[in-house]
Amino acid sequence: MTEFAQAIILGLLIGGVYALMASGLSLIFGVMNVINTAHGAFLILSAFLTYSIWTATGLDPLVAILITTPAMFGFGWLLYSGSIRRIREAPAAASVLLTFSLALVLEGLMGLIWGNTSHAVRPAYFNQSFTVGDLFLPKAQVYGCLVAIAVLVALWLFLARTWTGRAIRASAVNPQGARLVGVNVAAVATMTFAIGVATTGAGGSIVGVLYPFLPGSHYLWISRLLGIIVLGGMGSLPGAVVGALLIGVGESLTSTYISPQWTTAVPYVVIFLVLLGRPQGLLGARLREDVAAV
Amino acid sequence: MRRLRWCAPALAAAALLAAGCGGSDNGGGSGSDSSKPIRIGASLPLTGDFSEPGKAAQQGYQVWQKMVNDQGGLLGRKVQVVVRDDASDQNTVVADYNALISRQKVDMLLGTFSSLLNLPASTVAERNRKLYVEPAGGAPEIFDRGYKHIFFAQQATADHQGDVFAQYILGLPPSERPKTAAYPSLDDPFALPVLQGLREKFEKAGIKTVYTTKYASENTNFDSIANAVKAANPDILMHGATFADGVNFVRALDKVGYKPKYFFQTSAPSFADQYSKGIGVENTEGTFYAVSWDAKAQTPGNAAFVKQFNQMFGAGEPAEDAADAFAAAQVMQAAVKAVGGIDDQTKLADWIRSHSVNTILGPLRWDKTGAPQGQFLIGQWQSGKSQIVLPKAAATSQTIVKKNAGA
Repeated sequence: MTEFAQAIILGLLIGGVYALMASGLSLIFGVMNVINTAHGAFLILSAFLTYSIWTATGLDPLVAILITTPAMFGFGWLLYSGSIRRIREAPAAASVLLTFSLALVLEGLMGLIWGNTSHAVRPAYFNQSFTVGDLFLPKAQVYGCLVAIAVLVALWLFLARTWTGRAIRASAVNPQGARLVGVNVAAVATMTFAIGVATTGAGGSIVGVLYPFLPGSHYLWISRLLGIIVLGGMGSLPGAVVGALLIGVGESLTSTYISPQWTTAVPYVVIFLVLLGRPQGLLGARLREDVAAV
Repeated sequence: MRRLRWCAPALAAAALLAAGCGGSDNGGGSGSDSSKPIRIGASLPLTGDFSEPGKAAQQGYQVWQKMVNDQGGLLGRKVQVVVRDDASDQNTVVADYNALISRQKVDMLLGTFSSLLNLPASTVAERNRKLYVEPAGGAPEIFDRGYKHIFFAQQATADHQGDVFAQYILGLPPSERPKTAAYPSLDDPFALPVLQGLREKFEKAGIKTVYTTKYASENTNFDSIANAVKAANPDILMHGATFADGVNFVRALDKVGYKPKYFFQTSAPSFADQYSKGIGVENTEGTFYAVSWDAKAQTPGNAAFVKQFNQMFGAGEPAEDAADAFAAAQVMQAAVKAVGGIDDQTKLADWIRSHSVNTILGPLRWDKTGAPQGQFLIGQWQSGKSQIVLPKAAATSQTIVKKNAGA
């Protein structure tokens, strides 16, 4: 029983971190129909920024989120205005190609700036745990999960309670309708992309604490994050959270009860099975074109 | 608008070039015109999962090129190493070596990094009867295919990497000798055979296996594995790792609060300060690893290699992978010098098979399959520094410490 509880706890903790990482990716797709394959590279860029801040000032990486998040917001804004905006009306496949090329550019630039060697951010608690009875809760995962919850709640409040947030949601659901009621859809798209990239500010800082990273680490993350948002439903923020928790718990249970060899495979089998029954994902909305295709 | 549409791919290409990847494609000739350099092609994982050792290997080849050219070249001709980026991908590495031979028409080849990539790449070389000396591909299955042109430029194949360490453990007094062992490993053609070799020897000597598992290279979550190791409580823990998984695993062991009496890990601990920075220098103490090269070794040319490396790439200790790549090029160079030509590369292979070659790793010799017939050095982290502890003749530290002296 202890083993089962331990597996669930570890899965939920890492799932919470996955949710934070996947939220921006889902938001960007939901509003803009852009599949941002550079999202993993943005995470690693943020991890490198955290590393530089930590080594230069000794600032706790979780506090450094207050710097990396606005920095990544500004970076996302510039990137959207300079490149993504130009393929706004193009099919989603164009966004895959463009953002993948951006990921390669970023990988090369990060290699030039920080070097192509492994880096790690090690605050005092990076390898410590809380102990509750026979259970252990790794401190870095606990703090990372708490930050993830805080950021996700803030994101949800922003989307649900502010005019800009409502404009983003309106643009996601019906861009033409949003235009009719006075929403500047183009400006909203810029804002959405920047917010989506800003979430990697927090996500990257946590990645930097949990795992060693190098410029090429983004490949590892983008495949997992795409899996999460497909499982949850492309474009659905609650779906991204549910998908992330399921993948986290799935990985942990697989590692404990089947074999660590299957840890990365089993969640994708789950995704495959879910999509057979619900092609739109667990919480994704069925689009008009999906219905027409039936 | 049209110009901007091309902006991102152009930037991508620029960054790749800046990162040092992508080979030139000028279709240079392969003839023996002495005014032309000898062009030597290699595909390396400059991006992707193995980019870190891939870049180090590129540096090793570059240092060799510089030193050979400064000394007048090879057979009176300059040498030019042409490197392509295989992005750590098995399909790309095959395409790269085909392109190097048929399109870029290089004169000779050097190997890539990792058993995973050398397995398919060496098939291209064999089919084209090209000498293929590789710096980092010690999986035993590479050498049981009957190939005539492949040689591994380290001391031993993976299944023999831990031989010296096994001798040490089995030679301990009964009171100190471990009674139980655990063998978690990355599912990798290099890491697994190291552990299999050690496990066979230990089980034969009566050391009971209490835990064994494999995990995929994409695995990032090691807390569950560390928890299972703690529950099994082995006296000696043997971990088959590359780099990131090695660091993550040690972090996870710390998180569950487990320190074995003896800890041996493949590859990761040989990454010098990247390893100590990844896990914290205080957590390195007592960790054993097998290594092919030591910066302080008194092997012929080693000091000159380190000096040239520092001149080209700045201060600091070169990575082991850079030294291995340099040694691979030294083996090829020795064969070319001895045979006196590069046209018949089967002759070059025959020469290597029947001779020992002095390299910065020490003297290397091979059996008829191209598998090396030497012994690895055994390193151990002590007081924040990596030391060679075995064999005694090559040791930089005469003491051996326990990972957890209280266990």
